[in-house]
Formats: sequence, structure tokens, C-alpha cells
Amino acid sequence: MNAQTHRVAGHRLPRRDGVGKVTGKHVYAADFKLPGMLYGKILRSARAHALIKNIDVSRAAAIAGVRGIITAADIPQVRYGTAVRDTTVFATDRVLFMGHAVAAVAATSSEIAERAIEAIKVEYQDLPALYDPEEALTSDIRIHPDWETYKALPIISRKDNIAGQARIHVGDVETAFAKAHKIYEHRFTTSLQHPGYTEPRVATADWDANGIVTVWCNTQLPFDTQTTLAEILDLPAARVRVTVPGIGGGFGGKLRIGVEHFAALLARKTARPVKVMSTSEEELTAALPRQASIVLLKTAVDKEGHLLARSGRVIVDCGAYAGSGPGTAAIALQVMAGPYKTGALAFESIAVYTNKVHSGSFRAPAGPMANFAMESQIDMIAKDLGLDPLEMRLRNVVKEGDPGPSGETHTSVSIEECLRKAADAIGWHDRNPEPGRGKGIACSWWMTTGGSSGVYVKINPDGSATLVSGAVEIGTGAITGAAQVLAEELSLDLTDINVTGVDTQAAPFDYGAQGSRTTFSVGNACLAAAKELRRQMFELAAKQLEAPIENMKLQDKHVVAGNKSISIAELARISRLAGGGLIAHGTAISPAPPYDPARVKNHPLPVWNTPSYHAHAVDLSVDQATGKVTINRYVVAQDVGYAINPTYIEGQIEGGVAQGIGQALSEEIVYQDGRVMNANLTDYKMPTAMDVPEIESIIVECRSAAGPYGAKGVGEPPCIEPPAAIGNAIAAATGCWPNSLPMTAEKIAAAMRARHP
Amino acid sequence: MSFDLHRPASVTEAIDLAQRFAPTARYVAGGTDTVIQINRKKIDPVHLIDVACLPGMSEITETADAFTLGALTRYRAIETHPAFRVNLRALQEAASVVGGHQVRNIATIGGNIVNASPAADFVPPLLALDASVDMAGPNGQRSSPLLNFIVGPGKTALLPAEIVTNIRFAKLPARSATAFLKEGRRRAMEISVVCVAACLTLEASTSRCASVRLAIGAASPKAFRPEQAESYLLGQSASKENFAEAGRLAAEASSPISDVRASAGYRRALVAVMVERALETCLQRIREQDQ
Ligand SMILES: Cc1cc2nc3c(=O)[nH]c(=O)nc-3n(C[C@H](O)[C@H](O)[C@H](O)COP(=O)(O)OP(=O)(O)OC[C@H]3O[C@@H](n4cnc5c(N)ncnc54)[C@H](O)[C@@H]3O)c2cc1C
Repeated sequence: MNAQTHRVAGHRLPRRDGVGKVTGKHVYAADFKLPGMLYGKILRSARAHALIKNIDVSRAAAIAGVRGIITAADIPQVRYGTAVRDTTVFATDRVLFMGHAVAAVAATSSEIAERAIEAIKVEYQDLPALYDPEEALTSDIRIHPDWETYKALPIISRKDNIAGQARIHVGDVETAFAKAHKIYEHRFTTSLQHPGYTEPRVATADWDANGIVTVWCNTQLPFDTQTTLAEILDLPAARVRVTVPGIGGGFGGKLRIGVEHFAALLARKTARPVKVMSTSEEELTAALPRQASIVLLKTAVDKEGHLLARSGRVIVDCGAYAGSGPGTAAIALQVMAGPYKTGALAFESIAVYTNKVHSGSFRAPAGPMANFAMESQIDMIAKDLGLDPLEMRLRNVVKEGDPGPSGETHTSVSIEECLRKAADAIGWHDRNPEPGRGKGIACSWWMTTGGSSGVYVKINPDGSATLVSGAVEIGTGAITGAAQVLAEELSLDLTDINVTGVDTQAAPFDYGAQGSRTTFSVGNACLAAAKELRRQMFELAAKQLEAPIENMKLQDKHVVAGNKSISIAELARISRLAGGGLIAHGTAISPAPPYDPARVKNHPLPVWNTPSYHAHAVDLSVDQATGKVTINRYVVAQDVGYAINPTYIEGQIEGGVAQGIGQALSEEIVYQDGRVMNANLTDYKMPTAMDVPEIESIIVECRSAAGPYGAKGVGEPPCIEPPAAIGNAIAAATGCWPNSLPMTAEKIAAAMRARHP
Repeated sequence: MSFDLHRPASVTEAIDLAQRFAPTARYVAGGTDTVIQINRKKIDPVHLIDVACLPGMSEITETADAFTLGALTRYRAIETHPAFRVNLRALQEAASVVGGHQVRNIATIGGNIVNASPAADFVPPLLALDASVDMAGPNGQRSSPLLNFIVGPGKTALLPAEIVTNIRFAKLPARSATAFLKEGRRRAMEISVVCVAACLTLEASTSRCASVRLAIGAASPKAFRPEQAESYLLGQSASKENFAEAGRLAAEASSPISDVRASAGYRRALVAVMVERALETCLQRIREQDQ
């Protein structure tokens, strides 16, 4: 359908960064090198919670090749953070988790730096530690005794070990519960998951003669990194330049500062370029994983399975610093409301500190956790009421114009279409084709994150265009999507669009590669830039062709006015002589839709922009003796609004499902007494190609009002439903509901044994 | 990580180097255990003696009554060898689930047995075949049953500077089959939670078990043969009930640990199921041969 109306958008075109990446020519941040560069390593705490009595670096400093050592004592005392400014570069007087940075060393080789790290002597005095988030809610131990002195976003509500607490309250929950036919109450747990990007976090920093520090790194948010670095370094932002040569995946794990500050501080100390790259062990003990969570959910229904009221509590374990915890926990509330009509809701989120690694915003933060609870419970209720789980969902899903949890209006709603398509494709009529085999379904909705995008676009004298954006190509093909929009609007081919790398000194601001927004928002900015360029070209062409602007259009790389035409290339050459060239600044921002603030308390993301709807269905078998799950088929029906490039949408769906399968069945950072027990990629079990089945994508297009050509956000949703869909299929196959992630073979076998002792 | 790498041209030269640089020298073949152990600071060798290119040590040789596998045989060579497709399937099944393709192209079977991990995947099938290990050292050559060669976790009967040259096992009599099963959280790049190999021979014209060898990995400090389970089956009919009982006895004989990969209880339960299934698979394979 798109292919008929558009020449470039809607087509399966090869991505602009593809050839470089598959031929190994693409330079990633990890490949980046400078002459005379030193290597930095971080000394990390071996204690979970302890006072630092003394740090002795003298032996380390004496090692040949060591060029600089820094600890908290050597740098400005700054607390930074997105929701709560609770984070420091190094542990100051206390370490708060095993893996907490204590010191950093720069040396002429990474081996020497490592040896120096081992030679630093730290004297600790252990403190009682908190590992259990529920215990942290009631304990007298304070992980941040001075929390009241920290700055935070005004919306965030904090107390003691609670880094943030939000609420959604709709209608009269108590009356609804009192009148209910039945009430169901369940508890679910999910575990800590690493984002699993291929390239570790890495940064190289160098200070120039003017006192400007340049950091080459693999951040998803160059401008956020610039701001945070400026705070940490106590510099005006303009003296910090962040540039991203290339990024080997991020999935939300590279939103916030990772190792950039260590590189910049070590480079300042040594007056040499310094590169710092995380090891696998650091990735699994000191990166920004998806929070572990506990979800308590209570639901009231009538006889026909209509949802009357729900109450629930999400506890998100943020670890030693708030990180993305308060926002993540709050977003869980909208996910828990789901794409369902419910008269009354009373949801509460709690983000709580523990003495473990602080966490981040892994792809669809809170999505899979809250959805796992909510969608598992729908199936449990359906089973108890003797309803088909699909039918139960169809009775409750929102329709066009229904109110959402925040009082916003659901528009371009496609949830029923997604559910029906996924169910049909998986063969829903036959849910138990054989013993030990079952099918499951789950659905959700998700936002397209707002935030502004700016692009510069200039037309080159050969008629091609250069796109300068502050958004990085994180590997999704998102910038190719935006370039397709630009090419479409300028009557160019996709290969005519050159995309520059991101450099905060040169590129206009972008809110960054996060929140399913890149193609959407940069695409909208491209629409605006193209409009401005058409104006410039038509004005110039009017003089050249002596034709009125009103009749002009762009066609096949020419400005056409009746039977007269002039090529874009010619206009670009003329414009240079006429002054300045053809260049435009396009901007875009999606304002939040109207909502009812009385429903939402202390919530940093009170209402969702341009939501998308989706459903997943899975057919799997469970080994009745060992509990091992084999996925036979996996189907996703996802509403993308408008498919700007179907191939990369399928890529997002397949990758998201693979991550979701990992979270569902195998992945978990395991803590015991504050120590990560599987800090290596042998025992941290991301699925391999052998574990992920072929994933069947059904692209649903229900156009939005806000996205380019009606597009909606695409990137995050595919990892939301897998745990719930897989859990429901396991239940269909075994009669047992695993209520804790990951649903390992061992847990499933235990549940089956408990059922049939 | 820093060390001197030596490239001997012959076994004798390798042994000389190992003697000269003892105790800070180590042999390295595919390096897929060694490099990780260096990285994780478990070992810190000053000299690595690269045996991967030693001539004549990567061959698979078949004689009238035995097979000899050079210590440097790669998993890939086992996976694709036509002679192992019939009653030596356990070897191919084990070889094909070691790590991923890249690992199987460089890692050696000699490295697997000398590394002596309790979870080593190639050890149980070799134990089930009652394999022997040939060694060469400063005092000449000797040979030992694999069962005695592996002494404990990470420990073997190798003397200083000794090198493994071959692994040998006898061909199986008629009406024999082998099978290997592995359980873990993933289908590749996985360390066994439990692995089991079985080698079953039936009497000439009955369905009674003439010979049974079972070997179990990752369920005790070293891979072991559950003797009670084996002797229980001898002379018994190859039935589902008897296989299940053998599984139960094998589970009883195991002494698994609980760790981040699985609990002891789950491992023990797996031993029972997997022994039974491995024996059933052998039986099915013998029936296929019979036809
Ligand atoms: C990603 C990955 C996945 C893996 N997956 C598996 C798996 O699924 N199953 C499994 O069992 N293993 C697995 N391993 C472990 C390893 O690959 C195997 O144990 C392999 O067989 C080791 O062989 P190698 O030649 O690489 O050994 P090396 O590392 O070269 O040597 C291992 C040890 O044996 C000694 N050695 C080697 N050859 C000789 C010889 N001829 N004589 C005397 N001593 C010798 C060395 O000194 C060293 O102590 C994996 C490893 C990696 C890195």
C-alpha cells in the first residue's frame, strides 16, 4: 500500500550504514584510537556496603607506565542523575555496591593499568547491607543517609530508601471490589537483565589547547552526556564536545553516562588522550541493567470477565542509585492498566534503593515486568471463569475514543486487529495440539517518547542532500528511516542522502536514540526541513524559470512548473552564487496529549504520546520431565502506524522478541549476598541463534496523527510481551503458571512436580 | 596477559621445552580453556607451548578392531566423520554441542580431557566407550584408562611435561549403540548442567543387555560411571522399567552441587531422566540396525 503512494518511504531499501557494518569498515567507538593514547581502568569495590577508611595508591603510582591515578579526593564533588541527583563519579566515604567505582588509573597499556588497579589498597569497614527491596522498605538501614539534601526533579516523591513513588488513581476502586463477582490476587517477580549490546561501553577523551574536551564514545544520548559531563567536570557545556563514531547497540543501557567521565577526568589528569572500555565483568556488575521487580496485582471482574477494578503495587529495585528507577517504576503503572477498559484503578509504584548495581532504562523500561504480571493474570482469570483467554481480552480491550489510565483519549486504536491477527496466525482454535504443547497470547500498548529533534539539511551541488542530526544511528536503521522520509519529500533517492556522524558541537539538539522515537521524531524534523528547502528552491526556481511558485512541485529531482523544469543540482549550484546555498533547519516536537492530572501523582511521564498496540502469540512445547521449553512458532502483530521501512521493523520485532525470550527463559544477573554470581557471558545466558525460532512479523498499519506519514514508535514494544506470552503458553502446556522470571526449565519442572507429586 | 609462545616441531621438542620451562610452562592446543583461565587469572603461565601444529596428532585412524583419535582432533572432524554415524553416534552428538561453530573448529578433544572439567562434554562418551589415553613424556610412552586418567576437577594423572598423544577405544560388537544427551539453559554455547552418555550392547538374539556402560558429567566432582546402574541392567531385558530403574540408581550414585547454573536436586532429577532416555535411544538405534 505504501509502495503505491510513496517512492522511497514504505520501501524495503538497504540502510545507509549497512555496507560499512557488514564489511567491517565502520568505525565503532571501541575501534577508535588516538596517537599517544593511554588506557584507563577502574578499581571497583569488593564490598557491598562499607566505609572507606583509607585508599593507598602509592604502590600503584610507583609502577612503570602508570601516568595518573584519581579517586574521589581528586575531583569536584558533584552529584548528578536524571530523576534524583544522588550519583557520584567515585564512591566518596562509602561504597554502596560491589562494583562501585573507587579509583581510576591511566597507564601506557591496559595490562599495566590493570596491575596498578590491583596494587591500590583500600581499607574498608563493613556496614550492614540491604539486598532485598521489600526489606529496604522497612529497614532502618539507610543507603543514602543524606537523601534529603539531594536535588531531584520536583515531581519525584522520595522518602528514606524510596527513590521515587508514583500513583495512578481512577474511579472508586473500593466500591468496585465490593461489588465484584470475583477477585484475584497474585504476586510476580522479574529479575535483573543486562541489555546485551555487543559493544561494551567505551570512551576516549582528549583535551585540546583551548581547554575543550572531546569525548568519542558510544552513548545513545550525546547531548545528555554532554550536559552530565559538563556538570561533573564543572565546565560550561560548550567546552565539552561529545561525538559518536559508531555504536554497537545500546537498548537503553547506554543512555546515561557510562565510562565517559572516567576517560575525561583521566585525560585531564594526565594531559594525554585516555581510552576506557568496560570488561564483560564490569558490564555484568556495574552497567545499567533492567531492574528486578516485584509486582502485586489484584483484579476484580464480573461474571462475564469484564475488568471492574484493579489495584496493584510495583516495586522496582533500583540498586545503589536511583538511575532510571523512579521513571521506570512509574511507567509500569500505565503498562499494568494495559490496553483495557477498567472503571477503577489504584496503582502505586515504588523505586527502592538496595546495595546492588544501579540500573537503567533497558528497552521498554518496565514494559515486560508489568505486562508479565498483567497478562499472566488475565489468563489465570480466564481459566478460572472458563473463558477463552483471547475472548476475555477482546471483551475488555479499548476502542477508538475510550479513555486511557491518565484520562487521555485512545486514538487510532488497533488492539483488536492485532490480537485477532496474532491469534489467527498461531492457529488459536487449537490451543493444545498435543500433550505438553500449548499456545499463549499477550498484548500491550506502549508510548512513542516525545522530546524534540532538530536537523540541518543542505543540498549539495550534485543534487544530493546531507542530513545532520543529533540522533545517533544505534543500529536499528532509524536514521535510514528518517532519510527515507527526507528523500521522499525532496524527490530524491535514498542513496542521495548522506548522513553525518553525530557531534554535539555541530549538530542541532536531539533528545536522542531512545524511547522508540528516533525515526518518528527525526522523520518529523526532516519533513519540516524539506518543507523549508522546497520553499527556498521554489523561490530560486521562480526567478530561473520565470514561473509562479504556486504551480511548482518537486518531481524526479527537479523543480517542475508546468512544462518548465530545473534540476535540484542546478539550483544548488546557483544558490551558492546567489548566496549561502540551500540549507534548512527542521525541528519537531510532539506535545503530550491532554490528560487528567488528578489521576496521576508524582509521575515523571504522566501521559503517553502516540501509543502503539500489539499482540504476541507463541506455540511451544514443554518437556514433561525436564521442564525444558522449545518454542515452535512465534508470531507478532504490531501496529506501527505506517511502515517507513518494513525490513527494519521486522528487524526490531525479531531482535526485541529474542531479548524477550532471554528475559522469559534464561537471563538473570544472579546476586548472592551482594555479589554477582555470574559475571561472565558463559553464565549470563543470553539466547543464541539456536534458541530463537524464526519470528513471524505481521505489520499492522493504523496511522497516527503525529508521526511521519502516520508512523508510530516501533523499537521498544517487541520485547514487552514475550515473557507473558511464553508464560501463558507454558501454562497451556503444563497447567502450571510460572510467576517468576526467568522461567527456567528447573522452575517449570518444580512447578510440574508440585502439581503432580 | 603476557607470555612467551613456543612452537615446537615435534613431540620430543615439546616435551623438552616443557621440561626446560617447568613449572611455569603449559601446553596449549586450541586455547579455548587456557586463554579464558589466563583472562580470569586462574592461571598465569610464563611459557605457552603450542602443540596445535604438531604433525600426526589430528588424525582419526580406524583399524580392524579399534579407533585412534589424535589428541588434537577437532570437534568439527568428529562431527563430520562418516565412521561415527552408526553405532558411535554419542561422539558426534557430544562434539556437535560443544560451544559454537568457532569453538568446534579450533578446540581439541585432548584439551577437553586434560582440562578435566566435571562438565566436559567429550569425556562421558569416551568413558562410555572405555577409552584409553596414550601419553608421551620424558620417560617415554605410557597409557591409562580414561577413567583413571581424570583424577578430579581440573586434575589428571599426567606427570610433569607429559603430553597426551592419542585417545583409543575398541570398536563395538554387533547389536551395540551409543547416545549422548546434554541439558543446559541454552542450545549452544552452554556448559552442561548434566550430560550423559550410554553405550548398550544387546545379546545376539534376545533383548537382554549384554553390556552396559553409562557415564555422567556435571553431576559429581569428575565424570563417573554409575556401576550399580550398569550392573543392574546386565542380563536384564532392555525395557522401559529397567532403564528407569537404572536412571534411579545412577541418580542415587551422583553427587551434584548446587551452583548458579542449577540446584543439586534438579541435577539429580536430570540424571535419572537422561540415563533412561539415553538407554532408550540406544535401544531404538539397535532396533534400527536390526532391521
Ligand atoms: C565459548 C566456549 C564454549 C565452550 N563450550 C564447551 C562445551 O560446550 N563443552 C565443553 O566440554 N567444553 C566447552 N568449552 C571448553 C573448551 O572448548 C573445551 O574443553 C576444549 O575441548 C578445550 O580444548 P583446547 O584445545 O581449546 O584446550 P586448551 O585450552 O588448548 O588446553 C586445555 C588444557 O589442556 C592442556 N592440553 C591441551 N592439549 C594437550 C595435550 N595434547 N597434552 C597435554 N595437555 C594438553 C592444556 O595445557 C590446558 O591445560 C568451551 C570453551 C569456550 C571458549
